[in-house]
Amino acid sequence: MHDSHNAGDVQVPIGPQHPSLKEPESFLLTLRGEKITSVDVILGYNHRGIEKACEERTYVQDLYLIERICGICSHSHSTAFVQAVEEIAGLDIPKRAKYIRTLVAELERVHSHLLWLGVAGHEVGFDTLLMYTWRDREIVMDLLATLTGNRVNYGINTIGGVRRDVTPEQAEEALKAMEKLEESTNYFIELASKEITLIKRLSGVGVVSNEDAVKLGAVGPTGRASGIQRDVRRDDPYAAYGELDFDVIVDNHNDVYGRTLVRVKELKESFKMIRQILKNMPDGPIAVKAPRKIPAGEAVSRYEAPRGEDMHYVRANGTDKPDRVKVRPPTLANIQVVAHMLKDRYLADMPIVIAAIDPCFSCTDRMISINNLDTKKKETVIWNKIRLMGIEHYKKQGIDFTELNKKFFMV
Amino acid sequence: MSVITKIVRWARVKSPWMLHFNTGACNACDIEIVAALTPRYDLERFGVLLKGTPRHADILMCSGPVTKQVESRLLRIYEQMPHPKFVVAVGTCACSGGVFKGCYSVKAGIDSAIPVSVYIPGCPASPKAIIDGMVKLLESVEEEKKR
Amino acid sequence: MAGEDKIKQELTERFGYLKDAVTIQRERRIIVESPAANFAEVFDYLVNKMGFSGLSAITGMDEVTGFAVIYHLTREGSIVLNLRIRVPRENPSIKTVTQYFPAADAYERELADLLGIKIDGLTINHHYPLPDGWPEGQYPLRKDWHNSASGEQKD
Repeated sequence: MHDSHNAGDVQVPIGPQHPSLKEPESFLLTLRGEKITSVDVILGYNHRGIEKACEERTYVQDLYLIERICGICSHSHSTAFVQAVEEIAGLDIPKRAKYIRTLVAELERVHSHLLWLGVAGHEVGFDTLLMYTWRDREIVMDLLATLTGNRVNYGINTIGGVRRDVTPEQAEEALKAMEKLEESTNYFIELASKEITLIKRLSGVGVVSNEDAVKLGAVGPTGRASGIQRDVRRDDPYAAYGELDFDVIVDNHNDVYGRTLVRVKELKESFKMIRQILKNMPDGPIAVKAPRKIPAGEAVSRYEAPRGEDMHYVRANGTDKPDRVKVRPPTLANIQVVAHMLKDRYLADMPIVIAAIDPCFSCTDRMISINNLDTKKKETVIWNKIRLMGIEHYKKQGIDFTELNKKFFMV
Repeated sequence: MSVITKIVRWARVKSPWMLHFNTGACNACDIEIVAALTPRYDLERFGVLLKGTPRHADILMCSGPVTKQVESRLLRIYEQMPHPKFVVAVGTCACSGGVFKGCYSVKAGIDSAIPVSVYIPGCPASPKAIIDGMVKLLESVEEEKKR
Repeated sequence: MAGEDKIKQELTERFGYLKDAVTIQRERRIIVESPAANFAEVFDYLVNKMGFSGLSAITGMDEVTGFAVIYHLTREGSIVLNLRIRVPRENPSIKTVTQYFPAADAYERELADLLGIKIDGLTINHHYPLPDGWPEGQYPLRKDWHNSASGEQKD
């Protein structure tokens, strides 16, 4: 996460100035004029010591802990973990369970991408987009609550399968929801393809060439928007994906606009998959019995979370507690990419550029430390200030969402 | 006049300003807080406004268990808030540390660092629960004022 | 499993010391146990000559007798090859691979912070992922490290 510095740049001092009043900063930037010359991303903000805790708890307890690594892709982590354990234990889980897992997985992707679309709107000042997308998102939240019992942290997985079945009534409800959502998504795609203000604001921002994206290991929609042809669902199929017909969306804009297009188009693919799942859901049990003690062994489980490749490694030692659980969430793979995207770019672009990798950390209260080479001053600012600054910066250039916000309210 | 109407009127006059702070959460509660502000739930009809600075905030809404990395910042924010101030712990982790209690990098719930006025449990706390908690807070503030 | 078999064949033919060290777990999953001393040449060959252009993560773990470090390499996002080396408990150290994969920076820092493995070739200025002010010499992922009720305590 340490960007290399040229001879001319001043090294950003890392470490607290006032140890007693230290506020954890997430980004350390060096600024010359309005351009960022170097970026240090400091994570660890919500390091909770989960991997260690996993070794001290049973597999079933770990299932609930791991689900709570991230509240937006909780099913991703839960499924990735449970798949690794099932592989080690040699469990052949029923087809119906795989289909149900995939159903929840795609619904999670839909809620996540809609959430993202709203957040992206908020970051550039297009707040009505936030209201619209999150209103539609409630359709998915209701569906998930009906199917699993909770809006978030679904707890649908168990070692050996899933805990709840899908009834014909629920399937019917889900199909109706897909129709509504498809209609909205078509509108969002139209917006993304035709609304000049939005296109101008997102184009040429957060640029990563295909070559750099490959070198830096970009995953998920971030990587696919730079032409990287990778999707774990197709390349290393798991759950029911091997039996579904879907396209991997790849784009070549290499920028935030590309990342937007990839996500809205992925929504359509998700609806397609959900319909197939509901139509072809195999009969049968929803779980097999799993042993409490998992035999010695190890497995790597990969999953295409909404943000990209999520990788879990589990090592078992014949007891009821794992020997080692390693989680590499997708956002971690994209951190280097973000640092690269910000270098030599405008400070005003920072909020949307970071939001565009759909980071799995709360952006709203991150502290940013700016070392201004012109004024020779170091100051700490809150994220929201940069966001507002960015909106103002672009307003002056004629990219202003005020009218669009008003227009949306009329619709 | 119903209680809700009284509160809405008081809130509109007072317009309590709210600051949302994530102290190491998984984001689920944060997303539900934001969802509470969207049209379906519309927390803002109670007059509560989401602001970005502690110096003018009346209410601090915290999500997440207190991680050691964030504790000093949480204290700083609390100190910067003028009196009278209220702290709302949103979600089970904020109430007690939740599933993360006992993890080496986590202290416990919010009240292990600062005093809490309202506890809203849930994993995550649903937008309805958040609104319910906020209304209870505004009710109790109204009660305080009468004394 | 033609692809996996070919990989096994090529590796064992090229590096004699890997003769019995390559296991095909299942489709798209291979495990290679390499002597730590040969790591550099095996890694370089896998990445530059055999198309393993992706590194998903690096897992470090305490096996009590020593530390194991697993590099989870991928080819075309599909085949996962887990390259494992073992280093002694006393003064554990590995060479950085950030020159191949810049993203490895975060993964190697985790090994340094949580297990106390030294990373040759990587300058580390601040803690990650542990918080600032975390006491020196305390490595939570080591098997003999336990958290007591009051905080970051040791063995």
